[in-house]
Amino acid sequence: MSDFILGPFWNFAVIVFTAGVVGRIAMILMCGLSKDLAAARGSSVKGAAGTIARRFFPRKETIRSNRFHIIAGYMFHIGLLALLFFAAPHVQFLKNHLLGFGWPAMPHWAFILSAEIAFAGLILLWLRRVMHPVTRLLTRLDDHLAAWLTFFAMVTGCLALFESFAGLRVLHVLGVELLMIYFPFSNLMHAFTFFLSRGASGARAGRHGVKA
Amino acid sequence: MIWAGVLLLLGTFTLPVLPYLWASASNDIASLDTVQNNPRANFWRNVRTGTAGYSAVGGPEANVLINNDGQNWRQFRMRLLAPYGSYLMGAVLFTIAIFYALRGPVQHLSNEPKELLLRFSVYQRVVHWFTAILFWILALTGLILLYGRFVLIPLFGSSGFALTASASKEAHNLFGPIFIVALFLLVIEYARDNFYRKGDLSWLIKGGGMLGKHASAGRFNFGEKIWFWLVLLLGTIISFSGIILDFANLNFDRNTLELAHVLHGIAAILFISVSFGHIYLGTIGTKGTLRGMTTGYVEQAWAELHHDKWRPDDGATPEASRVPGAPNE
Repeated sequence: MSDFILGPFWNFAVIVFTAGVVGRIAMILMCGLSKDLAAARGSSVKGAAGTIARRFFPRKETIRSNRFHIIAGYMFHIGLLALLFFAAPHVQFLKNHLLGFGWPAMPHWAFILSAEIAFAGLILLWLRRVMHPVTRLLTRLDDHLAAWLTFFAMVTGCLALFESFAGLRVLHVLGVELLMIYFPFSNLMHAFTFFLSRGASGARAGRHGVKA
Repeated sequence: MIWAGVLLLLGTFTLPVLPYLWASASNDIASLDTVQNNPRANFWRNVRTGTAGYSAVGGPEANVLINNDGQNWRQFRMRLLAPYGSYLMGAVLFTIAIFYALRGPVQHLSNEPKELLLRFSVYQRVVHWFTAILFWILALTGLILLYGRFVLIPLFGSSGFALTASASKEAHNLFGPIFIVALFLLVIEYARDNFYRKGDLSWLIKGGGMLGKHASAGRFNFGEKIWFWLVLLLGTIISFSGIILDFANLNFDRNTLELAHVLHGIAAILFISVSFGHIYLGTIGTKGTLRGMTTGYVEQAWAELHHDKWRPDDGATPEASRVPGAPNE
């Protein structure tokens, strides 16, 4: 079983993930934008770049009403990114199997702190999703699956941290594989497409000389 | 030649027991059994008193060759905490089962059409379930660490249990600090309505309405208030002792770690035991209560039966009000 998870199933997951992500982005790009016939009053490139950057920060008009969502959202995403790119086993993996080079990994205490922040954020976001009457109505099975698969991949990774048992590491790999296979067909694609959506609306607004 | 062989055999078999025979004949065998069965016994007995000597190695207790407190702690864990903890949790579950069989669930008369009242805001519910989820992750992993060798080894085998225990320890250490944050948020959010108020004692005397007579209560009854303060007390003990155990490498001495573990174990078992009652009363024990913590709304008939002194506008929910059109799930 371990051989299958670490071998053929891993290759399958990588292929589905890569092909799926590239395919979906290509489909979005091929849709294109409707032609803007208005005279340009500003730079669409500047507008796109500005909107992509600006939307990393919450609007001050909505901070008060959305503070729970904003704080929990940042906790989860920052924690997850730190784990994904700066956890020592991940840096090692990327160096050995993908990129051929590495970078300094975060110390153990920072890993634990990042994991705790990410877990707290993820659980709080999911709870708010199911507790708030509006988000509950908007929530589909896809949202639950995405949250639970992410949780599973994260928690098995933390359980395997000390690599005391090979079985725990294999379980983590399985969790990551399931997440990779599900990723291109789910809302998780926002990890790649948020650039496109922000960029598109920013470019259009920038061309009209306004901020998006 | 034959006699020589016989003497050799006799000598071989009897020589080793000669000291015993001699001691037995001279009535010294009783004292041998107690203090002198091993000439080095007194030496090791002295070593186990924990007297500090000299060692070139630095660090807490490095000068003590054998610290017997570790053995005492192990005995406490295996012979007192584990069995009596299981008796307590089992007794609570058994009592609840008997009570449910005899009394059944507390039901309120439902009015038609149902008028709903907002009892808990979204934030209050999120904080409650955040704490509850973390509590049960920690409770289950903690119980695996305490009872796994008795329950899981027969099921999973030694290797399977070792893997499960390792995973449980990592999860317990990881989610523990998040529970402290959750506990803090819970206390801040719910403290205001959980202070003692006039009438709480009479609620308790009437057995919270379980003995037949109606017992009046405000937003939270005295039982819920006791549970709240127990959560704070036991949660604080568990949190502080848990931090010490989580950061055991920060030069804590053995006695501190043992004390932390003893307190952690006792508080956790009490916490889990009392939580059974909370879960029972919040779910199958009292109809309509769980709905308040899932959708946020309760029926007016439920509120009049259990919290007749509560008016939605004196609750902690700023948006609390009568909401006739609220979701009826």
